[in-house]
Amino acid sequence: MEATGERHKVKWFNGGMVQRMEDRLRDILERDSNNLLRLLKSEDEELELKFGLDTGAYDLHRMIDEDAGMKMRVEEIIKRFYIDAVPGISNREAQREKEVTGQKNTEKLEEDVDDVYDAEEHRGKSDAIRQETCEEEVIPPENFSHVVGEIYRSSFPRPENFSFLQQRIKLKSIMVLIPEEYPQENLEFMARAGIKLFQFGMSGNKEPFVNIPSDLLTSALEVAINPENHPVLIHCNRGKHRTGCLVGCIRRLQNWSLTMIFDEYRRFAFPKARALDQQFIEMYDEDKIKRIAQEKQWLPIQW
Amino acid sequence: MEPDYEEDDDHVYINEETELGRENVVISHAPRARIVPPLNFCPVERYLYRSGQPSTVNFPFLLDLKLKTIIWLANEEPQDALLEFCDAHAIQLQFATINPDGGEDDNPWDGLTEHSIISALRTIVNVESYPLLVCCGMGRHRTGTVIGCLRRIMGWNLASVSEEYRRFTGSRGGRILVELLIEAFDTQLVEIDRAKAPQWLLTAV
Repeated sequence: MEATGERHKVKWFNGGMVQRMEDRLRDILERDSNNLLRLLKSEDEELELKFGLDTGAYDLHRMIDEDAGMKMRVEEIIKRFYIDAVPGISNREAQREKEVTGQKNTEKLEEDVDDVYDAEEHRGKSDAIRQETCEEEVIPPENFSHVVGEIYRSSFPRPENFSFLQQRIKLKSIMVLIPEEYPQENLEFMARAGIKLFQFGMSGNKEPFVNIPSDLLTSALEVAINPENHPVLIHCNRGKHRTGCLVGCIRRLQNWSLTMIFDEYRRFAFPKARALDQQFIEMYDEDKIKRIAQEKQWLPIQW
Repeated sequence: MEPDYEEDDDHVYINEETELGRENVVISHAPRARIVPPLNFCPVERYLYRSGQPSTVNFPFLLDLKLKTIIWLANEEPQDALLEFCDAHAIQLQFATINPDGGEDDNPWDGLTEHSIISALRTIVNVESYPLLVCCGMGRHRTGTVIGCLRRIMGWNLASVSEEYRRFTGSRGGRILVELLIEAFDTQLVEIDRAKAPQWLLTAV
């Protein structure tokens, strides 16, 4: 910003390369529009490469930002393809708009941004368009996976994962295996989404003699495999150890061979698998939970 | 429920212990003790599973899943045992050939072509083929490629797709080429018929 060298580059760029830059941008939008918004948000080097300038010398974001005229033109082009980048216009309309753009393509590019989009005209097409791949990216939590039926596992969900959990998985409950207080923003999200919280504070099998109490695990299992709570997400901090132990015990209820249970445990705990956790899974006394589950006819757990 | 078996000595379901006696014993249900899922087995979505090549010890487990279709991602045929298992239980075995011209000359290092990925995904987005298992030799790279492309269709962000892929690749880690293939995969190439799409896909597209 303060460096005059930067200014210099920008000026030179504006003088000689605006046209080329716009051509490239159009070209990319046409070929690869799905990726552009992501690209614009990503690293400068990557963006520059995409523009075929691999010098490493240009800060394209800043150039665009600092030149009002250029910024406007770029934004205009982006708006043509990404109506959802403009506040107040829904995604589906964006899809429709996109199709219109596809049809009219170049002439549309020359038109005014303020042109009113006729929603009625395209309503009929919406069904067909909705079949297309979604534009919106979803972010599952780290170490996320199905376990069985409607039981899921993951690491600690963060705000960016909320929409995934609510809209895609349609969670009914979350089971957390850490003793610490649950974060306020997660609680707020759960209240909004009508998700029930079950907390079973476990300290993990870190040291010899510091074990997860079997009783606690039994009550946790009782909640986890109860179909009334499904879909349920089981998580701890990283989704490796405590979650791995609980899932391992679910696998025992499914009669999996211990070797394959350990294999799965290690896959999710990698690179931090703990022998004590595996030992715990092996030694967990499943009699009580089996009795409860059989009484309530939860077994076999449905795939 | 009891399928038709021939009195065939090299039948795959022979119980090793009773083979010396008279009768071949057919394993048609999971033993009470422990059941063994295939290598790298994991549920992907409801009624959609992934794994390495299932062998005879895994068959009781596979029966539990009530599979309708298995997608086999390789040029070479899977073990005879698996072919016969699929026959016996009316499981559709779909070959998503890696390189149609390569014949039996299959190199396990070859990645999948776009064509084979799309052919596998067409089956995956059709609920009529469910419950469904996607597998390859080890259940790592080829299966990972197809599942990765499916996640892209579902709109997962690439970091999560990559994390999932690498979870199954074992100690040697993931292959950059596989991840490039997943990233570059054009999700528009797989047409989704909403009337036939599985429930979890409907909310994703």
